[in-house]
Amino acid sequence: MKRYTLSRRAALRGTGAAIALPLLDIMQNNWCHAASDVAPPKRAAFFYIPNGVVQSAWNPVDTGKDFTLSPTMQPLESIRNKVLVLSNLDRIKVAGTDGHAQASTCWLSSAAPDELSPAGYPLKRTIDQIIADKAGRETAFRSLELSCNPYEDNRESVYFDNISWYGHGHVARSLRDPQDVFNRLFRIDQHAASSSILDLVMEDARSLRPRLGKLDREKLEEYTQSVRAVEQQIQRVRKRQSDITKLNPEAPIKPWQAMHRDEFIQVMGDLMILALRTDLTRVATLMTAPERWSSPLKVEGWFDKPIQHHGWTHNQQNEDVRRQLEKLDRFHMEQFVQLVQKMDATPEGEGTLLDNMMFLLGSGLSSGELHICSNLPTVIAGTAGGQRQTGQHVRYAEGTPIANLWLSMAQVMGTEQTRIGDSTGVLKEVVCT
Amino acid sequence: MMVAPMYSTIFQLEQTIVAITLVAFVFVLSPAAAQTQTLPISEAGETAAPSNRFDYHAVRGRRPLVSRSGRHEGERDFALLGKSRVQGLKHYGDQWSGGAHLLWDGSVGATMETSFDVESEGVYDLAFQLTVASDYGLFEMSLAGTDVKQSVDLYGPKVELAPLVKLKDVRLKSGKQSLSFKLVGSNPKAKKFQGGYLLGLDYLQLTRKDQPQSDTNAFDPTIDRSSVSANSPSRATPLAFNELKVTMNRFCYRCHGGGSTEADVDLTAFTHRETLLADIDTARKIRDTLASHEMPPEDKKQPTRELRAQMVASLDAMLDEYLSKHRSSAPVVMRRLNRYEYNNAVRDLLQLGGDIYPLPEKTIRSNAPYFDPASGRFPAVVHVGNRTLGKNQVERQILTGVSPFAIDLQAEGGFNNRGRELSVSPILLESFLKLGRSIVSSPEFDRYCGSTNSLFAVPNELTLAQQSDLARERLSTFLEVAFRGELEATVLDRYHRFFVQRLEQTQSFRLSMKDVVAAVLASPKFIYISESAASETESRLSGYELANRLSFFLWSSIPDKLLLDAARDGSLAQPAVLDAQVTRMLEDPRCQALSQNFARQWLRLDQLVTAVPDFDRFPQYYSRIGCEQWKFGLQTMLEPLLLFESIMVEDRSIMLLVDCNYAYRSDELQSWYDDKVPFAGRENRERFNTNQQLFRKRVLNDRRYGGVITSAGTLTMTSAPLRTSPITRGAWVATVIFNEPPPPPPDDVPPIEADDKVIEAQGLTLRERLQQHQVNQSCKSCHAKIDPLGFALENFDAVGRWRDAYGSGLEIDASGKLFGTREFRDVVEMKNALLKHPESFMRAFCEHMLSYALGRELGIADEPVVEEIVARFAADHGQFSTVVRGIVQSHPFRYRAQQIDTKESK
Repeated sequence: MKRYTLSRRAALRGTGAAIALPLLDIMQNNWCHAASDVAPPKRAAFFYIPNGVVQSAWNPVDTGKDFTLSPTMQPLESIRNKVLVLSNLDRIKVAGTDGHAQASTCWLSSAAPDELSPAGYPLKRTIDQIIADKAGRETAFRSLELSCNPYEDNRESVYFDNISWYGHGHVARSLRDPQDVFNRLFRIDQHAASSSILDLVMEDARSLRPRLGKLDREKLEEYTQSVRAVEQQIQRVRKRQSDITKLNPEAPIKPWQAMHRDEFIQVMGDLMILALRTDLTRVATLMTAPERWSSPLKVEGWFDKPIQHHGWTHNQQNEDVRRQLEKLDRFHMEQFVQLVQKMDATPEGEGTLLDNMMFLLGSGLSSGELHICSNLPTVIAGTAGGQRQTGQHVRYAEGTPIANLWLSMAQVMGTEQTRIGDSTGVLKEVVCT
Repeated sequence: MMVAPMYSTIFQLEQTIVAITLVAFVFVLSPAAAQTQTLPISEAGETAAPSNRFDYHAVRGRRPLVSRSGRHEGERDFALLGKSRVQGLKHYGDQWSGGAHLLWDGSVGATMETSFDVESEGVYDLAFQLTVASDYGLFEMSLAGTDVKQSVDLYGPKVELAPLVKLKDVRLKSGKQSLSFKLVGSNPKAKKFQGGYLLGLDYLQLTRKDQPQSDTNAFDPTIDRSSVSANSPSRATPLAFNELKVTMNRFCYRCHGGGSTEADVDLTAFTHRETLLADIDTARKIRDTLASHEMPPEDKKQPTRELRAQMVASLDAMLDEYLSKHRSSAPVVMRRLNRYEYNNAVRDLLQLGGDIYPLPEKTIRSNAPYFDPASGRFPAVVHVGNRTLGKNQVERQILTGVSPFAIDLQAEGGFNNRGRELSVSPILLESFLKLGRSIVSSPEFDRYCGSTNSLFAVPNELTLAQQSDLARERLSTFLEVAFRGELEATVLDRYHRFFVQRLEQTQSFRLSMKDVVAAVLASPKFIYISESAASETESRLSGYELANRLSFFLWSSIPDKLLLDAARDGSLAQPAVLDAQVTRMLEDPRCQALSQNFARQWLRLDQLVTAVPDFDRFPQYYSRIGCEQWKFGLQTMLEPLLLFESIMVEDRSIMLLVDCNYAYRSDELQSWYDDKVPFAGRENRERFNTNQQLFRKRVLNDRRYGGVITSAGTLTMTSAPLRTSPITRGAWVATVIFNEPPPPPPDDVPPIEADDKVIEAQGLTLRERLQQHQVNQSCKSCHAKIDPLGFALENFDAVGRWRDAYGSGLEIDASGKLFGTREFRDVVEMKNALLKHPESFMRAFCEHMLSYALGRELGIADEPVVEEIVARFAADHGQFSTVVRGIVQSHPFRYRAQQIDTKESK
């Protein structure tokens, strides 16, 4: 199997997660037999911000290489040469269903606006899963879904809490607890122990199937697909067993409930980066928080009192509120930038992890005030091994489908997709000519 | 969403002859209970005077004078007179029935008096279970009206149970029996207790010796499906479709036609009767908005009363026609167990001592079991707590290494038991695989598991072959329970083969059986509730399938042995057997799942967990320690749940959920309602106990309080940190109380100040401020429905405490209209209006529960079913068990529909 070089200097700089990588030396010496000319794999990751952003502070006034960073984009200054800012990418909103549920659920959806799921909005296999169909064939985990949802009040339905779907009605549930994420990635023994059971339960599923009705069979299919996925996962994790054992990363000890907001996002981001750089997976999504969910939220160090993100978005005509909201947008941007910097500080092959990635920041709404779905905020860091012209702001023609971006990313990631949802073509700035 | 006819009063309750057992009941008054404040209850306008109104407090389950087990618990079923009190005995061991006994002490010569009830005259065997201890006395026991006289020496070197005192063939009259224990002295070895001696009575077991008379009051479960029409007959004559079109042209098309299509409704599209029939949801919507006077809007041209009735009648006729052709209801989609059900299923399958992982779903926590539905009585005092109240926000594990998967979120306006929302992903499958393994291999498992001997233990001397045979025998029983269906030979073979493989590898019967159990707990046959495809449009559920639906409805768990027996021999199909099972299951403590899983979700109580009333504005919401982590106010979460449980256990009317003359509150909560500082009074021992509090039943003399709508918990969770939120409250009432969830809010929600102080500084009340915002007709018509329900509660501040005026002194306007016609001026009048039309709440409650029971959304085709159940429900004045029985016996509960396409009812 081809392997690429992973540098020993690539220690993680978590902001409190106790993930030490003391054994990187061993890892490097034993893990990387491959010739140095093997190109590192390409990865794609998505960083989701709920409820949109304040438009006046988000939109850059000019375009091109020397564009002026908007107020919210100020934190990008240090990495501006590594990012692409894209404007005027739209999703078509479907009337009659909740704007927020649609924002999260349909953001990465590969369904065209007229392909409605029984839930009432266009929801099919999402783009991260389509990419994983190809990019996840070799890795231990086909994809990784993470969420920093801190709410324990079950206020909203599944549609507000997930951006990744295998198909309509079949959610790729995200993990919320960093300790669970860690165990899933690195506690090898847990995976292997299940393998003897899998054949047995698969037989059960097979014997169940003939008796079932049509819809039930579709439900059962979720089970059998999962069994197959876990089987593959076990085999692949086994192959990586010695690497992972040597890597021996330390689990996060602090419970997430005790983490400050920025710490929580960074720890999750660290785990995501760890999974990507160790090639345990090549596709990941990270929700910083779920859509709407009007429960108050503490953002320590930034706001004195628990904030109401969703409530604020509808009240942003008020200048004080808008300023608070801009501050929150900045907070999210800073979290993103910190993760980009970590990726960029992780040497890989001739460059860094970031060079071999597309790390996308976005939201399913541009403005939460009126649930607007046009001109969705979009920033891509990294070039995924391409010659892409980063360091610029591109403003597309009004009404350009964001599906064009998904199609472009899918192609960069090596899928043979020629159309996704309502896409009309690729974005040449993304598919690196 | 199902919208039921609002105006059709099926039952004129005032005229109904009440034929139920009226049992006088006594409130237990605690010193802090009496509320002195009273509100003049105005009964002007259309609201009925209390004397005319049916008193729903009179509805109560046939309270068994002899508890169903025939056991009179000392701590529960005997009158506490004089120095008698209840003593918990858990710390002495678990041999005491109910974990407690009745304790008395006195000096020699004194007599302990008490009494207990006997349901019917007859000959009984009596067995007294008393307690012995080193300071217990010598007593002479006598039972009035009998020749019973017995001397008992209660001395013992340590605290334990005395030998049973048995009295044979005692004839007892029905009613109260006076029992006395005269303290005549002591055993020479006994030492004194405060100058005297003690007595402890654990229970009295009564066994009827002669033949009791048959119960003539048996429930008749037969339903005549044809007798109740889907919609109450409209008196008006329906219009021909062309006439209807002409009428709609006059009153509706201006806003809902061609060019202008408010709310995306274009009525001109319905050119023919058939086109409207094909869009039955819209037909239903038109009918309901007309019937409720929601449309045409108040400031537009109105049809005459008669014409409106005719329009409604025309649409009713169309609905009836539709329903006559679409009898079968939507299919139930196979679903996996949610996190709560999985816990219960594993617990019951392996007979574990408790839960497998911590469940925040279980809001009420208690170390002393209080929930005993078989007794038909809910205790007047319960020792309970609330997980989220304590400092330890992070749950501790129960079984080492066993961790739960993520909670399953509720469907919008529904429950978390719907197939469409309950997916299985690789991550979840990993969880199931890991759960099975970690449960059986946790170090605590063998002690925790009640079937350790019957399943895992093996005699030493068996050969491997004999062990294999023994395993097969055990598995044939175990797998039937685990998979809740007829056990196919191939399945038994498969699991047996797996066992043998493991046995060869491990050489250990115990370990191999544990591996089998781990596999079972991850099998699709265990984690899915599956039913065979319907052979025709619909088909009757098999016995096992019905047993599954029953047990997951009432227990959120798997069927037990008795239910499986009835499923296996086919008797469950008989209405009488089905009904007897429901009775049995409602008397089983497992039915607390209806409170933990159904009521919690129905009331959306979880939302209180994240409520953060402003720390400076509402310091009393937080404990006086001044720490935001300790939310004193989370105690309020228990109040509506305890009310629900008392209604369920005592089989009272669900109308008490709307208006009730009692509530369960801790002393702290009571003083908080009374606007005193909680945690005051140094003498209160419970002062710092944030984990457990004594919640007592309190009499409420004030109708502003009582019921779930005006309980502090629900009022707080529907408020913003710095002000009330009438729209949120209104939407909650519309959804929970009327099952008419408002449509999703529009995109252009206008902003509103977050702090009512800021609004009031402009000289405006919140109500006036909100009204400024209803800029267009579509805002107005929707808010006209929601807002009055929220403004009616405006006298309760953002943490649910009464206020006569706003902080600034501005007056509170809590008036509004219910059902389009019933005007009210305040919350008490709103409750009156609700009680005047009890079937509205009953219908909504029934719809919520039916949807929960079926695990799917309801559709128009379910309406006749709901009407049938509501008819019986209302005739029983909303008695809790009636709706449960009605649902269980309903057509959609006992039948499954064919799954034709993927379009589910929306």
